[in-house]
Order: sequence, then structure tokens, then C-alpha cells
Amino acid sequence: MGRWVDIETANGRRWKGTLVPSHDLSGDRVIQLKLDSGYNIGIRIGPKDIVRAAEPPSMDPEPEPSEPPAVTVEQPNEGRWVALLTTGGTIASRVDYRTGGVRPVKTEREVLGFFPDLERDGPVRLVPVSDRLSEEIVPSDWVELAEHVVRVFGEGAQGVVVAHGTDTLAFTSAALSFLLEDLPGPVVLVGAQRSPDRPSSDAFTNLAQATRLARYPELGEVVVLMHEGLSDDRFAIHRGTRVRKMHSSRRDAFRTRDGPPLGVIEGEVISFHEAIRPRSAGPARTSGALDPSAAILWYHPGLDPRRCGAFSQGLRGLVIAGTGLGHVSLAHLPWIREALGSGVVVVMTTQCLEGNADPFVYSTGRELLKAGVLYARDLLPETALVKLLWSLGRSTDPAEVRRLMLSDRAGEFVARHLPVETP
Amino acid sequence: MKAGLEVHQQLATGKLFCDCPAELSDDVVRTVSRQLRATGGENHTIDPAAAFQASRGLTYRYEATLSSCLVELDEEPPHRLNPEALRVALTMALLMNATPLDEVEVMRKIVVDGSNTAGFQRTALVAVDGSLDVAGKTISIPTICLEEDAARKVSEQAGEVTYRLDRLGIPLIEIATGPEISEGPEARAVAEEIGLLLRSTGRVRRGIGTIREDLNVSTMGGARVEIKGVQDLRRIHQYTSHEVERQEFLLEVTAELRSRGASVPDSPAKEVSQLLGARAEGPIARALRGGGAVLGLGLPGFGGLLKSREGSSERLGREFADYARSAGVKGLLHSDELPSQGIDEFVAQKLRATLGATASNDAFVLVAAPTASVSRAGLEAVRHRARIALDGIPPETRDPLPDGTTRYSRPLPGRDRMYPETDVPPIAITPTLLEEVRSTLPERPELARARLVAEHKLSEELARQIQRSGATDRFLELVKRGHPASGVARILTQDLASLENSLPDWEADRISIETLDALLTAVEWGEFSKEGILPVLTELAKGAPSFEEARARTGLTRLPYVELRALAQQLVDQNAEMVRERGEDSFQPLMGDLMKQVRGRCDGKAVAEALREALADGPAPKGT
Repeated sequence: MGRWVDIETANGRRWKGTLVPSHDLSGDRVIQLKLDSGYNIGIRIGPKDIVRAAEPPSMDPEPEPSEPPAVTVEQPNEGRWVALLTTGGTIASRVDYRTGGVRPVKTEREVLGFFPDLERDGPVRLVPVSDRLSEEIVPSDWVELAEHVVRVFGEGAQGVVVAHGTDTLAFTSAALSFLLEDLPGPVVLVGAQRSPDRPSSDAFTNLAQATRLARYPELGEVVVLMHEGLSDDRFAIHRGTRVRKMHSSRRDAFRTRDGPPLGVIEGEVISFHEAIRPRSAGPARTSGALDPSAAILWYHPGLDPRRCGAFSQGLRGLVIAGTGLGHVSLAHLPWIREALGSGVVVVMTTQCLEGNADPFVYSTGRELLKAGVLYARDLLPETALVKLLWSLGRSTDPAEVRRLMLSDRAGEFVARHLPVETP
Repeated sequence: MKAGLEVHQQLATGKLFCDCPAELSDDVVRTVSRQLRATGGENHTIDPAAAFQASRGLTYRYEATLSSCLVELDEEPPHRLNPEALRVALTMALLMNATPLDEVEVMRKIVVDGSNTAGFQRTALVAVDGSLDVAGKTISIPTICLEEDAARKVSEQAGEVTYRLDRLGIPLIEIATGPEISEGPEARAVAEEIGLLLRSTGRVRRGIGTIREDLNVSTMGGARVEIKGVQDLRRIHQYTSHEVERQEFLLEVTAELRSRGASVPDSPAKEVSQLLGARAEGPIARALRGGGAVLGLGLPGFGGLLKSREGSSERLGREFADYARSAGVKGLLHSDELPSQGIDEFVAQKLRATLGATASNDAFVLVAAPTASVSRAGLEAVRHRARIALDGIPPETRDPLPDGTTRYSRPLPGRDRMYPETDVPPIAITPTLLEEVRSTLPERPELARARLVAEHKLSEELARQIQRSGATDRFLELVKRGHPASGVARILTQDLASLENSLPDWEADRISIETLDALLTAVEWGEFSKEGILPVLTELAKGAPSFEEARARTGLTRLPYVELRALAQQLVDQNAEMVRERGEDSFQPLMGDLMKQVRGRCDGKAVAEALREALADGPAPKGT
């Protein structure tokens, strides 16, 4: 790769350029060449075509682009620092055009190269934690991440920013919300819907605002910061347990369900719509392990009860995303009873993603309740799953797990559903 | 000295990477504001000019319209490349004997002036090595590309530029010729031939701004320069010769700078506002009064080389000023133009000492802007341009000016500013696809024209005009329906063309063939005259739903012959004296008057007949 080649095809055509990696979806026997003009083209190589190594041509008289002048910001490199934990994902990665893949940024220099004004308000320490796309993250990573947060607070960080892939960012924010206790400062999860190698990336503004929020003195909880709306000038602060990625590509994909976001940043102003959890005197600590033996079942018409019975085998907990107020066909009652009988904690949430799961309105709900299904009010299915992993990690007693599930730990329940539109 | 032409034609196939219509729209549904950063491409280098542009911290406002979706807002990944647009590009490739590539790869070309929400333009090379015969000369067509059009600029004010997204993403076919064109008429002929080929595909957009031409100029030892949006191709010679002159001049300056051992220091820009104080005048004074900053840079060895030479209007100082302007700075002053703006010899000496430009052949540059950061960006742009001057001439995109000269616009997007659009899979040009395109190629314009001339007795020029207005199919259909070729040609090439020119965003195609059929029939039956055609078409363009309704709105209902005869009699009566004196000879003046009264409502023949009858009857006797 990167070599100059001279290709002569059987029909006499010649191509000169640099070999570049072919696209994953390129055709068979197609090689990709970067021409002098900068265009890439695909050439299908036949048995009679000749590919030779070639000398690079003398380049245009174009002067080599000089390094951009260092942006000299007067850096107040004193004061308390913010820890930037990177886990991979769009925000902390760049496309590597030589291999065609995405790779994470690893060094502080590289991050500051992308985000030159990151240290405008004070020093930022980079802590690389992992470098995976967020769909590859597993519950044990949440625990490790929580331990990193505890460690950097112990070392004197004022606040913590976690750069994370957006796909499962809301799971991680919920997990950190349940795992972390006595936070002496904010833990701000942030992502980007456009990679920072694009001039239009939302990574720049999101990271800058997340870093600002991490210095907010009164905040002592886990939040998510992303765009609010499609413009680069408003940012929503979401509570870690109430947020969900609601769009596959928009900048404002993250939405707090069942109410307005916790707060908003507009210009220089950070404001909160409701009471925030104040910071604690510390020290921060994590509360135990997660038991990964739980899963989510998304109910739909025609879902085969036998399949579900098999699915629940070997689990200690199961979250059902039921229809409406939290229903499944009564044909599912037998396997649910069986699972409950063998000690599985079955938690009902609503696949509407807003409003309560409520067993008392319809007979189906009452039947499920009588069987022992735990109705988890307005917990998002994903939050319910994470909370279940955490509860199972705390206790082996199903009754205690059920008690933990229903007690508010990190603002995950909304007591009053107000007659306002959710953005 | 030769130049190449780049023709950009919008396609009417729907947008290139989403499913929006390729149409302009005035219905703004929402506005978003964004910022763009300069980012590195494949080799991780950031183009300095792009970095400066980004460092200005401009806010871009984007107006989303009914012709745009989340893709144009950079809120959704691009869809697959529009297969219809690709077909048109392949059609053009085959019409020009070019070789389509085996696999088309979509690229991103970094552009951070805000005209693309993503900060890059998507573009793909589709075919290479074509050619075109124009007036007996073979013009090479090295490349045919498919790319997306940019957003259109709506307004610009301090710190903020507003673009509308309707145009963003409309497919453009870019056809580049080799550097083989020397004269204005030749450039026009080449552009027209390409234009006719494009129209023959039947899939191009029409109207103002739907086809744009750039000029590529390369000189020996100099650099390639692209002059964007040359409106008047007749002036191609003027633009190219000015460009040669500019490059020759700048090459001499470079040689002189080298022989002097001139250099551009790395030291940070120095604020010199205090040194100027109350003495400053003009733009510098204005910047200072507004709380701005004046920064200075010493340039050892540049003294005397920033100004123009006798007999030439070129000067390095202007190039500096253009780069500073691209970074948002309007006020630039250099030591070769002193005394000026209140800076006399005394102040100049102090500036020289401060900026380290004390030798006699040293120069310095001052940059003034309302804020320190803008001044700094401007000065760094000048520093960058000064460094290039030590090496030669930068490849640039330049804007044409009305006086035949050009002005720096932005760096030429080159190899380093292109990187793969990883969100769009490569498109294989299969033999099957090529065969399909080949089997449906449109008739070549020159053959179609020859047929029009032979079969419909049109002049070569009129046939060409029909092709140019893209109306060949409509012409043939209307003639087939029995209308005389001359009348059809007149409506298509004159009436509709003049309407298109007077109504922006309106296209003649919006009037259906049935409506034109009805209109021509009415004229041929004498229901109203040829003079009524344009008013009726105008009403149709303004939204009249049918021919009948349009005719009713113009009031051009046919005047019954009885009424026409009565009007003629009235006129003869009013002019009884003249009629008695001059008899038949009074026909001419009266005919003119009568035509005026009934214009458009009767045919001229009928008017003449009515008047002749009235004259034969004579004026009514007095007193009755």
C-alpha cells in the first residue's frame, strides 16, 4: 500500500497512481488507485493486465502544505484538572485512510491536535481506558470504567469526562449511575454522531462543553452531554439513567424520556430544569460487581412462548419490554410462572419508552402481577436491565433484588409525569 | 498560452446522494447554525488557508427547505449514489468516446467555506480520455466527474454567512477539456457543443445558473489556477493572458527574493497598535477606534517587491491582501505603500525597529481587524503566502473580476484535500450497465439537427436554437400533431425562451404539450392573433391552470366578426373626411389604428377584410 504503480491493461490503457486499500465492498480483483488528481478509482485487473512498480512522478510545483501554525492559546495550565477517559467510538477515533479502518486516538498530543482549545479553562489529563466501538462494550467494561473514575477522583480530578461511542452510551451512563457513589464532581459522558475527521463533526463542540460541565462545581452525578437540536449552539444535559439514543444519525439523537432534560447549556450559561444531585465530599467509590446473567425480551405479536421459555433458561433476571402498560399475551404465562418459580426475577417495562408500566388497569397486567412479575414503573427497558445486573450483583436473594429494583438510586424514576411534550 | 474548460451542468434526476428533488425552493422550513473546523485528510495535513478560514470562527446558518432532508443537513449518512445521474454521466462518457472506469469511488473534497454542511463536497471520477470534435478540431476530454452542487449563499454579515440548502446535493456533471483552447470564440463553441450534448440526454436542469463554466490555466514553470464561474466566455483570452502576466511577474519576484536570500520569520506576530496611536487614518484608524488590534510582521528581503512594477498592475502586496481577506481581514498595509493612512517616515522607522525590518531591502506588513484573533488569522495568512512566494506560485481557485483580472478565492483542492467517502460503497460499472446505456444513447445533436433542417425546412440556426432550448422532442411532437414547423419553432425558441429569461426559476417545460397544442390550434383557427401568444403564455407561467383560463385572464377572447366590422365602420365614420379625400389610400393609416384596438383578439387578415368592407361602404352620411 502507498506504492506507486504503473498498470497496463490488455486493451492498452495505462494507469499510474498510488495503491490504496480497497473498500470493503469493492468487487473481486478490483484494485484501488489514487491518481495524481487526488481521485481514487477502481480497476478490475484481468489475467493479461500488467502491474509494475513505478517511480513517483515529480510532483506539482505545489509547495508542501506547511504544518498549520500552532494555535497559541494562553493556557492557564494551573488549577484543577479534568480527567478525559477515552473508550473508543466516533468521538475519539479517526478514519485511517491507509487501512480504511477506524482507529482510536491514543496520545494527548493527538487529542489536542483535534481539539486545540480543550484546555482553555484548565488542564485536561487523558486517560485511555479502552479502544473499542461501543457495540463491543460488555458489562465488565462498565465496572472497569467506574474504577477508573474512582481512581482519577482519588488523584484529584475536579470532574471526569468519558468519551464514548454513542451506540451503547446510554447503557454505560446508566451503569456508572448505579455503580458510583459519593461523587465529588460531575461524571460527563459525551459522544459524537460525526467523526472528528469531518469539518462538521459535533465532536469539537460536544467535547468542549462536556469539559466545561465537568468543572461545574455543584454537580455530583453521572450525566450525558450531547447536542440539543441540530445547531452547534445548544447542548442538553441528560440524567444518566433517563437518556436514550433515539435516532441513528442526528446530532440530537440523545433524548431524556418522560420529561425535559436535566439541564441545558446555551452560550455561557449552564442551567438546570430540575434539582441536581449535589457533589459529595467523597471519596468516590464503586458499589460492587455486576452479574451479567440477565437479558431483555422485546415482546411482539406472534412471539412463540416456547422460544421465550428457552431464552429464559440460565438467567437470573429478565426484563420484558411489554406492550402498552406492560403486557404480553397470556399464552406466555406458563413459562413466566416457571421462570419465576425457579428464582428468575422478571421485570416488566413498557416498550412505549414513556409512561409507567402499570399492572392494575387491565386483567392481563393483574394476571402477570399475581404470577410475580415486577412492574418497574417508568424505567427505560435498558436502564431496567442495567439496574437488574447491578441488583443481581448485590444480592443472591430474589426478594432483595426486587427491593433494590424498586428503590430510587440514581434518579431513574420520574415521580411526576407533567403534561409537557417530550422533545 | 492555452487553457482548459470545465463545464458543470446540473442534472434533473433528483439529488445525488438523497431522495430530494433537484429543485430550488423558497420555502424555508427551519434554520440551523453550525461551525466548521479544518481537519486533516488522508495524510493528516491541514490546509493552512482552510485552517485560517476555520479559525475565523464564522457561524454558518443553513436554511432547510422543502427540497432538502437530513442528508443535506449532515444529519444522516448519504444514500446510494443516484443511479439515474450515473446513467447520464455514462451517456455523456459514451457520447464523447470516453472510457468509463471499472469501479467508481466517491471522494470527499475538503471545502470549509460553509457551502457544504459536511465541510466537504462529494465527487467521483466516472470516465476518462474522451474527445470531442468542434469545428474540425479535436478537443480532448480527460475527465468526466459526477459531483454534488454546493449550497447557495443567501447573505453574509459580520461573523455569519447564510446558505440555503435547496441547491446542495443537486448532481453536477463536470466535463473537463484538455488545455487546448486559445481563443474566446473557440471556448464558446466548445462550451456550446458540450451543452448540446448534455441537453440531448434530456436529463439536465435548465435556467439561469444550471450550467457553469470554469477556466483552467496552467503555465510553464507556474501553477495551475482555476477561474471559477466565468460568465462571459468571450473574455477567456483576457483572463488567460492576465493570468500569464500575473504568474510571470510573480516568478520574477520569487527569483529576486531568492537571490536576495529573503526569509519569512517564525516569530509570533507583534501587536503594534500603540506605536500608531492617534496618527493613524483610514481602515487602520477605524480598526483601532473599534477596539481592534494592528499586528505587524517583518519580512527581511521583501523590500520594494510588494509594489507593482512599471507597466504592470500586478503586485505581491495584492496577493498578500487577498490572503488576508480570505481570513476575514480587510485592512492590510505594507511598507512599499508608505506613507499612507497616517503612517509617516517617523512612525515607519519605529515600526521597522520593532518588527526587525531595519535593512534597506526589508519590508513589513501591518494587518488591522476589529479583534485580535481576526488580525492574527489575517497575519498568519500573509505569513503563509509570503513563504510560498519564496518557492513560487500557489495553485489556487480564483474569482473572475469584471475588468478581466482575477482575485484569490481559496486554495485549489488537490490530492491532499481529497479522501474517500467511506459512507458510500464503490459502484461497479458492469458491462451489462454499459450495454444498457449504449443501447439507449440519444441521437447525436449534429445528426438530429441535420434531420430538423432536412425534414422541416428549418434554417441551421433555427434548428440549433431548438436544440439549445432543449425542445427538440416537443418540436417534433407538435409538428406531428399537424402544426406548421415555423409557428412551433417560434413559440419554442422565442416566446418561451424570452419568458424563461424574464422569470427566474421558471422553466418552459412546465407548460404541457397539450396546452401548447391548444394554443397553436387557436391561433391557426384565427381565434386570436399571433400577438396574443406571449400574453397567454405569460398567464400560464404565472399559474393559469389551462389555456382557456389563461386566455380568459388576458381578455383575449376572440372578437366576433360582426363586432369587428362594427368597429371598422365606427373608425371610418370618425375619419370620414380623410376617407372621402383619400379613398382607398386611407386604408394604411386606418389599419394601424384598428389593429391597435383589437390587438390579439382577431387575426390581421380578418381586420383588413373588415376595414376594406367598411371603406367600400363608405362613411355614414352626415346627420344620420
